[in-house]
Amino acid sequence: MLPVSDFKNRNKQEKKHTGGVKVKLMVVISAAATLLFFTQLVFANGLATDGQKIAQIEDEIQKLESENTILRVEISKKSSLSSLSKKAQEDGFKKPSLVITP
Amino acid sequence: MQIIFFIVAAVIIFRLFYWQFLAKNSFGADAFLKDTEIPASRGEILASDGFPLVTNQESFLIYAKPHELGKNPQEIAQNLAPFLISEKFTTDSARLSDSDREQMKNEVEFKEKDIKNKLSDKNLFWVQLARKVTLETKKKVEEKKISGIGFVQDEKRFYPEASMAAQLLGFVAFDKVGRDTGYFGLEGFWDRKLRGKSGRLGQEQDPLGLPILVGQYRPIQPKQGSSLHVSIEREIQFMVEDKLRKAVEKYGAKDGTVIVADPKSGKILAMATIPTYDPALRGEFDESLYKNPAVADTYEPGSIFKPIVMAAALDTKSVEPNTKCNVCSGPRQVAGFEISTWNKKYHPDSTMTEVIQNSDNVGMTFVAEKLGVKNFFSYVEKFGFGQKTGIDLQEESTGVLRPDEEWKQIDLFTASFGQGIAVTPIQLVQAMSAIANHGLLVSPKVVEKVKDNGSEEEIKPEREIQVISPETALQVTEMMVNAVEYGEARFVAPKDYRVAGKTGTAQIPISGHYDPNKTIASFIGFAPADDPKFVMLVRFTQPSSSPFGSETAAPTFFEIAKELFIHFGIPSGK
Repeated sequence: MLPVSDFKNRNKQEKKHTGGVKVKLMVVISAAATLLFFTQLVFANGLATDGQKIAQIEDEIQKLESENTILRVEISKKSSLSSLSKKAQEDGFKKPSLVITP
Repeated sequence: MQIIFFIVAAVIIFRLFYWQFLAKNSFGADAFLKDTEIPASRGEILASDGFPLVTNQESFLIYAKPHELGKNPQEIAQNLAPFLISEKFTTDSARLSDSDREQMKNEVEFKEKDIKNKLSDKNLFWVQLARKVTLETKKKVEEKKISGIGFVQDEKRFYPEASMAAQLLGFVAFDKVGRDTGYFGLEGFWDRKLRGKSGRLGQEQDPLGLPILVGQYRPIQPKQGSSLHVSIEREIQFMVEDKLRKAVEKYGAKDGTVIVADPKSGKILAMATIPTYDPALRGEFDESLYKNPAVADTYEPGSIFKPIVMAAALDTKSVEPNTKCNVCSGPRQVAGFEISTWNKKYHPDSTMTEVIQNSDNVGMTFVAEKLGVKNFFSYVEKFGFGQKTGIDLQEESTGVLRPDEEWKQIDLFTASFGQGIAVTPIQLVQAMSAIANHGLLVSPKVVEKVKDNGSEEEIKPEREIQVISPETALQVTEMMVNAVEYGEARFVAPKDYRVAGKTGTAQIPISGHYDPNKTIASFIGFAPADDPKFVMLVRFTQPSSSPFGSETAAPTFFEIAKELFIHFGIPSGK
């Protein structure tokens, strides 16, 4: 059986040992939390930038589609039979008097 | 220290809870959710050569936020009104007459008042000023630099060939809830396919309006409307409209209609009516012009109905081409009515071929008598009269064919030369196509293919029925060739082509009697007679230069036919 004084010393030593583990655990958790916090910041930053990029791409798509529509309208205007026949008339084209069929 | 930490954390959590759950309701559930409709582009309508007869162009909705306006409503209204009136006045190429200028002035004044009233209502957060304005108009409005005025992108129909085939195409206008909807013609018939399906943009946004990618992101892409590939040949349509316009003017007709179809496939190659309208400026035209007379008008066909009745009589062996008419020596009295020939000339003992050649009404009563009501009715139904042809144009009507039990002998006699029966022009073309196509009736169609993103649906004729035997079809064809070569239209017919045709001059029934001065002049036929490439109907309502089909519709038919011979590369020589 240990003397009372020895029991007290042992309790003190155990307490010292447990306190060290707690501190280490807290350091690890804090480090992990800090790491996760910064990781989230990095990702959030990335996502925010991506959102902006998507908005830009969508704008670009809309712009191109709009240009395509305008060009399509212009092409069909210029190549319509009504405008071609008008131009042919202005340029002095005449209907052929002789047609040879194969 | 711990207490302070907990208090701060609690405050933050409470604040977050407040913004997330409590304050959200006061902003509305969609405060940060951009949930908007993405309109689907309407499908195009393409001619047989792939050229767009109808396509889309950019347009804009102009709105104002009255509480954000930089100028007073009166000034803004004065600035905007001249641009937001009818396109008829606002296009750069518009050539305005004095009356147009007066009309324009009135329209501007009206629009100015309208805009001023809308902008003066400060209770409105948002008000629409105009829809479907063009890019040019948008630019002009932007140049005015008025704060509080904004634009929403949209699309509107564009017609590269202007009014070409307007009645066939139909137009797009708003329905009750302001959505684009097709009316009349192809736009009306194929509206569900053309309109596509609008999408939705359900997307969370940050305060700057940028999408939050970790948020709910559930866009539904719009499904573009299907495109219609039609059998209309642009060159033929253009040429037909040009010839018809000149002919309507030359013969002083109220209106004119031409249908050109391929008898073998039922495909419509051209369909034109004069007067017509410009679908882009349809509001400027009388609404009566919107309907396509080629499919919607019902009228008494007159003598062009005779080959149909003759075909029925030949097919039932009621008569032969050389059967002689024993009642043709003079007018015929039936139930108190006198049936006479159109020129009061009579041809005793004429053959059935001569009955068609002379367009002999009395001769047709002989044919009808031999045929009988039952057979007559049965064949008229088989040829497709009294029912829709199934052509893919919205406003098609059925014509009028009374039930067979109501028919008396006099009804049968008058119907044998095209009176007392109401048909549509497209029904006549369908029936004549059957004669041209060895007796096989193929119902008419305008759309050949419906194209979606990646998929393609071929549109087939609804009906293919052997109406008469090929031998009968050949006999009727020969009779019609004979009618062209020796009948009333012989002076205008080309000598080096075999054309089968028949003239018609139908009096218009008004208040229970026929007005001799008001006629519908027509000519129907096909060519080349031995291997037809086209069947064509030309019809004029109330021509004033001459009431007869042989002097108005027939010359127009052959004018167009000559161009078609060149188009199809059909060599001359019989």
